[in-house]
Amino acid sequence: MSGLLESAPLALMAWFLGLLGAFGVPAWALEAISALISIGAVIGVFLGLFALASVMERKILARVQNRLGPNRVGPCGLLQPVADGIKMITKEDLVPRGADRVVHFLAPVVMMVPALLVLAILPYGRGMVPAELDAGILFFFAVGAGTEVAVFMAGWGSNNKYSILGAMRAIAQLISYEIPLVMAGVTAAMIAGSLMPSAIVAAQGGFAFGFIPQWFVLTPWGFTAGLIFFIGALAESNRSPFDLPEGESELVAGHLTEYSGFKYATFFMAEYVGMFAICGMLVTLFFGGWQAPLPFLTIVPSWAWFFGKVCAVAFTMIWVRATLPRLRIDHLLAFAWKFLLPMSFAAFFSAACWHFAGRGWAAWLLSLVVVAVPYLAFGSHFSSRFSTSRRTYRFSE
Amino acid sequence: MTLQILLAISAALFALGLAAVLSRSNAVMILIGIELMLGAANLNFIAFWRFSDNPADLTGILFAIFSIAVAAAEAAVGLAIIILAHRNLRSVEADDASQLKG
Amino acid sequence: MMCDPLQSLFDDPVKFLAPWFVLVPALVLLASAAAAAVMRNLIHAALCLTLSFIALGIVFIALGAEFVGLVQLLVSVGAVAMVIVFAILLTRPDQLEQSRTALAGLRPAGGAAAAFALLATLLGFIFASPLAGKPLPAAAAAPVAKIGEALMGDHVVALIVTGVLLTAALVGAAVLAMEDRP
Repeated sequence: MSGLLESAPLALMAWFLGLLGAFGVPAWALEAISALISIGAVIGVFLGLFALASVMERKILARVQNRLGPNRVGPCGLLQPVADGIKMITKEDLVPRGADRVVHFLAPVVMMVPALLVLAILPYGRGMVPAELDAGILFFFAVGAGTEVAVFMAGWGSNNKYSILGAMRAIAQLISYEIPLVMAGVTAAMIAGSLMPSAIVAAQGGFAFGFIPQWFVLTPWGFTAGLIFFIGALAESNRSPFDLPEGESELVAGHLTEYSGFKYATFFMAEYVGMFAICGMLVTLFFGGWQAPLPFLTIVPSWAWFFGKVCAVAFTMIWVRATLPRLRIDHLLAFAWKFLLPMSFAAFFSAACWHFAGRGWAAWLLSLVVVAVPYLAFGSHFSSRFSTSRRTYRFSE
Repeated sequence: MTLQILLAISAALFALGLAAVLSRSNAVMILIGIELMLGAANLNFIAFWRFSDNPADLTGILFAIFSIAVAAAEAAVGLAIIILAHRNLRSVEADDASQLKG
Repeated sequence: MMCDPLQSLFDDPVKFLAPWFVLVPALVLLASAAAAAVMRNLIHAALCLTLSFIALGIVFIALGAEFVGLVQLLVSVGAVAMVIVFAILLTRPDQLEQSRTALAGLRPAGGAAAAFALLATLLGFIFASPLAGKPLPAAAAAPVAKIGEALMGDHVVALIVTGVLLTAALVGAAVLAMEDRP
């Protein structure tokens, strides 16, 4: 039964292609059709996740804030995305006078394309990677760099001071947090010995002592690198507490100020799809991808484990948004350059120590020390600048 | 697809970069031309690697990787110089940086 | 006969169209590079440069050097193009189009003539060379593992020197662009 569920998607596609082949469709057409089916399935699943996430985010935020979320449309408000979609499509599409029309029009497209492209390399299950690239992790970061170009085009194409300022701040944030993100990803790739996502997932297989999964996040360096990757993922998706570029109380909506209707919906969709893509990469690199956490849980299909873990990480991101306040731009940049970057180097060095000390208990201790000392050093430097004692008020006592 | 076509494409890209460097007066445009010329040289390396008799010898690829890295470093320093020149001379035209002119 | 090329198109169109996977991005590359060299509006020129970098990366990937193509996309598009755009934004005059960046005087004609002369010379040498008449060899594989072994093995000195160079460039650029504190 579990084997049937596990191989259901691939078996279904193989049966369909066999059927077409029996009708005399040539081999090259079968390959093209198989690629199109994978693309359609991946995009369909992720757009469905986007719709679900847009309503679940509002409901989770609402429950955290002791109120109900959207609950009018459909059972428990689950058809809210349909209402949102109709609203976005029927809104008037304004282009400011004096705006650069071509750049203003192309910015949502340039934002959406990288978000969808990076979905091709994630391993969704055992043997279920749409595109098996030799340098998959590098592809992820290279295509993610296209997002920065889109943010700039959106900001500059709007002919608005707030937009261009918001775009410059957004790009500064994106490039600052990209470096710890890439270093953390490279740490996982270094220990796994390959840049292929499926090889990194396979390197996290097996169970130590029979029941503890050998995921990278359960090692000292992996925990640090995973946390840095998570924080970098929050910053790359412009989510709170790093959502200064699009916070409404800041620069209006930053680089998205002059966008309305379907173009804004495209930006919104690109942000959520990008969030799920980077959650998928975090799960692949540090949480074992499609591997089950305990040996007897392998009856659950691998693709179910992958999407379950991705949804759990996405829930954590929404939880963080509901809980933490927004960071100011200089605090944000100082945090990236003065704390996250040295910590990512410390995690990298700690992973190397763990590997070359033989991966035994001494190696674990050494890697823990190599990670803990910089954390305490940098952390104390940072926290000494803010006093955590009880506030005294000058006038209201 | 012969080697000649690829070399012709990279020669055309180099010529476009050279035209940009020689005919534009804005310093940033000159830098854009330099980046185009570096890209053309990289294309040459990769084309020769692709058509070589011994593709296991990855020298062309490695040279292109180092060339991209050095191009990035040079663009960063060049643009820092341009920003500094703008701060002092109030202009980024290459003609205006003529204080050492005889 | 006449239907032979069409027959090979129907037998295996992927193999038939394979040269176009390189030529189409190459044409986009040349067109956007020409636009970047000629355009008056600086931001448009920078965006055309970004497009030409993307096209160059795709050409590298289509030629089989995937690692170099992805590095080109990551470094040139994600870093160099963004730095150029920031420099344009930080140094622009009040009107972007009316600045003296307009091609004026004999300079564009002279530049174009020099570039054309160089192009003609290069093309003459390219098409007269015996070396360049080779047919396309079988697809070469450059696995990332081999590139890594070469970088850390034979070429480790160049790798470390490049690292030092990049660090020096980073520190130098930051020091140059920093404002003087009173």
